[in-house]
Order: sequence, then structure tokens, then C-alpha cells
Amino acid sequence: MAGIAIQRVVKAYGSTPVIHGIDIAVAEGEFAVLVGPSGCGKSTLLRMIAGLESITDGTIAIGDRVVNDLPPRDRDIAMVFQDYALYPHKTVFENMAFGLRMRKSPEDVVKRKVDAAAEILKIGHLLQRRPSQLSGGQRQRVAMGRAIVRDPKVFLFDEPLSNLDAQLRGEMRVEIKRLHQQIKTTIVYVTHDQVEAMTLADRIAVMKGGYLEQLGTPDDVYSRPASRFVAGFIGSPTMNFVDATIGAAGGTIRLKSGVTLAVPTGRHAELAQLAGRSVVFGIRPEHLSFGARGPDVVGVATKASMVEPLGSDTLVTLSLDGAEMTARFPPEAGVRVGDTVELGISMSRFHLFDPESGHALAVRPKL
Amino acid sequence: MSATPVVRHRLTKLERAEQRLGWALLAPAFLLLVGVVLYPVVELINQSFRFNQLTMPWMGTPFIGFDNYTKALGDPRFWHATLNTLIFIIVTVPGAVIVGLGLALLANKPFTVKWPVRLGLLLPWALPLVFAGLIFRWFFEYNVGLVNAVIKMFGGQPLTWLSDPTLAMIGIFVAIIWKTSSFVALVLLAGLQTIPKSLYEAAEVDGASSWQQFWEITLPMLRPAIVVALIFRTITAIQTFDIPYAMTNGGPGDATETLAMYIHKNTIDFLDIGYGSALAVLMFVVSALVTAVYLRHTQRNPARVAT
Repeated sequence: MAGIAIQRVVKAYGSTPVIHGIDIAVAEGEFAVLVGPSGCGKSTLLRMIAGLESITDGTIAIGDRVVNDLPPRDRDIAMVFQDYALYPHKTVFENMAFGLRMRKSPEDVVKRKVDAAAEILKIGHLLQRRPSQLSGGQRQRVAMGRAIVRDPKVFLFDEPLSNLDAQLRGEMRVEIKRLHQQIKTTIVYVTHDQVEAMTLADRIAVMKGGYLEQLGTPDDVYSRPASRFVAGFIGSPTMNFVDATIGAAGGTIRLKSGVTLAVPTGRHAELAQLAGRSVVFGIRPEHLSFGARGPDVVGVATKASMVEPLGSDTLVTLSLDGAEMTARFPPEAGVRVGDTVELGISMSRFHLFDPESGHALAVRPKL
Repeated sequence: MSATPVVRHRLTKLERAEQRLGWALLAPAFLLLVGVVLYPVVELINQSFRFNQLTMPWMGTPFIGFDNYTKALGDPRFWHATLNTLIFIIVTVPGAVIVGLGLALLANKPFTVKWPVRLGLLLPWALPLVFAGLIFRWFFEYNVGLVNAVIKMFGGQPLTWLSDPTLAMIGIFVAIIWKTSSFVALVLLAGLQTIPKSLYEAAEVDGASSWQQFWEITLPMLRPAIVVALIFRTITAIQTFDIPYAMTNGGPGDATETLAMYIHKNTIDFLDIGYGSALAVLMFVVSALVTAVYLRHTQRNPARVAT
């Protein structure tokens, strides 16, 4: 086992930079998730750790060894690919044994290790089949089996669940988490799915356009997003954003639509330095309530313009004089399109962002 | 075929109209096949059982049973031509596949400028066979040929390439392999491009060297394409004609004469239609057998072929 130190890493194709100097330190045994939209550079960064892409500038170290110039086979890593990359002409056993055999392990060791890995992943009965005879979930397990038999310092996962259907994805997510708890090897996991990132990660690195937007625990990126991008990317449905202005002494927030919200006294000091500034007001759907009850909740009159029942919750899109917000209501609320709804805004949970840079302005303290 | 009894039901008017249209659409292709394939083959077989020498028109074309075939089996020149054809198959089929595999691997490399490789790959394939034969006849020509010029440049003695029986065979091998390997390369290149890149990446992470990747991934994954290329190449090798015809015309003597050339000689030069037809039927049977192997191969479960 080993940690990974990514320092000022740059990747450029010709003169086109795609990763602009990223620093991430992954601790030994940590489950780190790189998340972001397509083209953000997360897969490229993973492939640079693997050695499948060259590093233009900066260093990557696995353990205490800088691996920039080492070929993949000398980095002591194992990788699970998005398409699994199983060798179709080899049996499951041969697939899992491949890495060991290439390293000239004695056959009895190969057999013991493959059987042990098959045991962990419950694929012992599939060892003589070929990949074409397996289901998607089984192939996924074999791909993970191929990685764990090698007992590497680091596991790399490149969007391993994106080819599975929703139900299987949920199951495999649990499997991967259990696997990590069992073998405790350092994992770097790439995904574009924020649910996977939140559920699996010890720490999440949110990337955008080749930059690291935020590195933190799932609670950090959810509760204290560093930028409007992170706030919008993490959480589903996405955070509501409304242009607003901070009132005098930070006591009020005036939304673009004309509604003025009173800020709880506890946050006045935090907002005072922003008085008079244009900001982007952000609030998550789960922090909007049906009716204004409870401390620090401000009521606003709105009109329901769309209703999406999910069963456990109902998503309601509401308009407040031109601005729109989506709220997560209990289904008992029974809101219908066109209804007038008193929307409760939990003023202890809002976020403020700079309209130009997108940076978070007021950092909400830990609850 | 399943054993379930077919329940015949009366066709509706619409179904009958569709059936008629179906037959009408099939008819042109069917008639064309009858005209250009079925009729010539039947006529060939018919002629092979007859005495038909255009030099002796007064003899007519009487039916003589298997006489032409018994003549062939006792004809040393037929056996020699068959042996030559076999040698061409044994040498040039694997030769073309090995060279073609090399070319395909080369063409599969991510070159920044792709056209020279593509041109090199396609040019031999696009050239007419006779033209390729003529080029190589010049290459191996004694006085002004390129090969002897190179030998002389390095201080060697020029060789009588096309008038020595063994050297003439070697010259023809080279020409055939050069000409046919590009077709093999195209087939194999298509096969190579279906191998996912991630397999090589996984193998690289797994610790396989380039050589191990070739043996463990490329070659087994390419096996179906190699089999197809081998069979196609074998079928064309059975019919080897143009290149030796243009380079040596079967010479010196009949040292490089193939079965197809001997058939040509009998029918066109000696005007012995009956005997030529019998020889052609024998060659046709061999070709049909190889084609049958090919059909069996392609009709196998595609999933098994791929794995």
C-alpha cells in the first residue's frame, strides 16, 4: 500500500493544455474519487497515474517513488477499465492469472491467488467461462478480480460502473465499498456520477476544464462548496441559483425578482463585508420547505409551475416573480401546477457566490 | 431444419402479391447467375466428357466418357503442373500472410502522415496481376534487371534468375508474395482495428511486454481474420496464372508451369477443348473443396469465431 502525491501536474497535447497544474495528495489506504463532467481531465489524470499518458510537467509519486518515467508495469498499480478490457479469448481464470503469469509467478501461487480473489468476489463458479458468457455485472467482478490478484499498491478505477444498468450500478457500488473496507488498498476512482462520488469517497476531487475546483470530504463538497460549479455539480436535483444583492449591514438579501429575504442574525457579520454587492444566491432543493415553519425559515409566496413526483419526494418547480427554484417536498404536500405555495427558505443553509468568478463568498460554518 | 410439420395456410391476397413481387425481384439476379455461372460450369463438365479438338473439326465432338480424365491422371506434365501449383500454395500462402501481417501491423501504427503507408499497402493490390508480373520480369532480368544490378553493386556475380528452374521459382515466389500480401494486409488490418485499445493498456498495466502483448492478445484476437485471409489466399493460389505467365511463361521448359497455365496451354494453344475442360473440372473440384472449408468456417457460431 502507498499514498499518491500529485504535484503541479500539467498535461498538454502539443500546445493545448488539458490539465493545468493539479495538486492532490491521496493518503495511504484512502478512497479518492475524481469527479467532473466529460472533458474535465479526470480520466487523463488517472491515466497519467497509471502511466498510460505521459506527464508534461510536475510529478506523480506512488509511495515515495516518483513514477513519471516508469512504464505502467513497473508502477505496481492495477486498473479497472470502463469497458473492463477483459481478454475475450481467455477464460476468467486466465484473465485473472494474466498479470501474475506475465510476472512469472509460479503456477501454484497463481492458482492460490486467483482462487482467493474469486472467493472475495464470489465468482469461483465462473472461472472456466469466457467473458462473452458473462453478464455485465459478472464481467465487472472479473475485471476487479484481475486487479486484486496482483495485490498492487494502488487501484485505479476508470468509470467502472458506467456500462451497467441503474440497479446493478447500485449493487456494484456497495461491492466496491465493501471491497475497499476489506482490502484497504489506496484507490483512485474516476466517475462523472456525483452519487458514486458521494457514496464511495473518503475524499472527492471535483474537476472542471483541467482545474481542480475543490478537494474535500463528501460533506465538504456538499455543505461547503468552494464554487458555484461544485455547488451545482454535487447534489441532485441541482442547487437553485438566483442573482441577488446583499442589503445594508448584511441583514437582508434582495433577490433579482424583487423578493427580500431576512438573514438570521447569526450570519450578519459574515455578510456585512459583502453589503451592497451583487451575488449569486444558492440554495439546495432539500433546504426549501412546503410552508414556512421553524427557526431561520423565511416564507415567500410562489406559484408551482411544474410537479415531478418521485414517490418518496415530489420535486416542485416554483416561480417567484420571474426567478425559478426547484424544491423537494414530501408527497403529502399534494401540490398541483398553478397552485400558490408558501415556500419556506431555510436561511441557515444558503450559499453565496461571486457572479463573475463563481467562487463561494460566504463559507457556512460546519453544523 | 426442425422436424416440426409445416402448417400450410392459405395465403391472403396481399401475401400472394408480395410473393410474386419477391420472385420478380429475384429473377434478374437468378437469370444472370444461370447465364454466367451455372451454364458455363455445366458446359465445362459436358465438354470434359467429349473429344473436342478444334484442330480436327472433322472428328466432331463425340462423347468419350472418362477418357480425358484417365489421360490427365497418366499425364506427367499434368502432375508436374499440379506439383508446381502445390509448391506455390505452400510457399506463397504463408509467405503472403506473414508479410501481410507485418504490413498490417505497420499500417496500424499511429503515423502522423498516413498516406505513404496506405499507398504502399494499396498499390500492389491495385496493380493488375500481369503488370506486376512484367515489373518483376524486369527486376529479375539478367542484363538490365534491378536485382542483378544490386548484386553487381556489391561485387557479386549476376544470376540467371528467370532461366534457372530453381531461381525462376524463387523469383515468382517473391513476385506473388509482394502482389498478394497487400490484400492479406487489408484483411488483417481490418481485424487489427477491431481489437480494443484498452486490451493493450490492461496488458501493459498487467506487466506484459510488447512481444508478450503480440503473442497473448494480437495473434489470438486476429485468428479469425488470419483464417479468412488464409482461405482466400489459398483459393487464389490454386488459380495462380498471371504472374508466372508474364514472368516466365512456365519456363524454363515447364519448370514453373502451374495447373492454370497448363489448362490455358491445352485449350488456347493446343485447341484441345475436351482435355482442357477435364483439367479445369479437376481444378474446379479442388477450389470447391477449399471454398467449402471456408463456408464451414464462416457458418460457425460467430461468437465462437470471435473468442
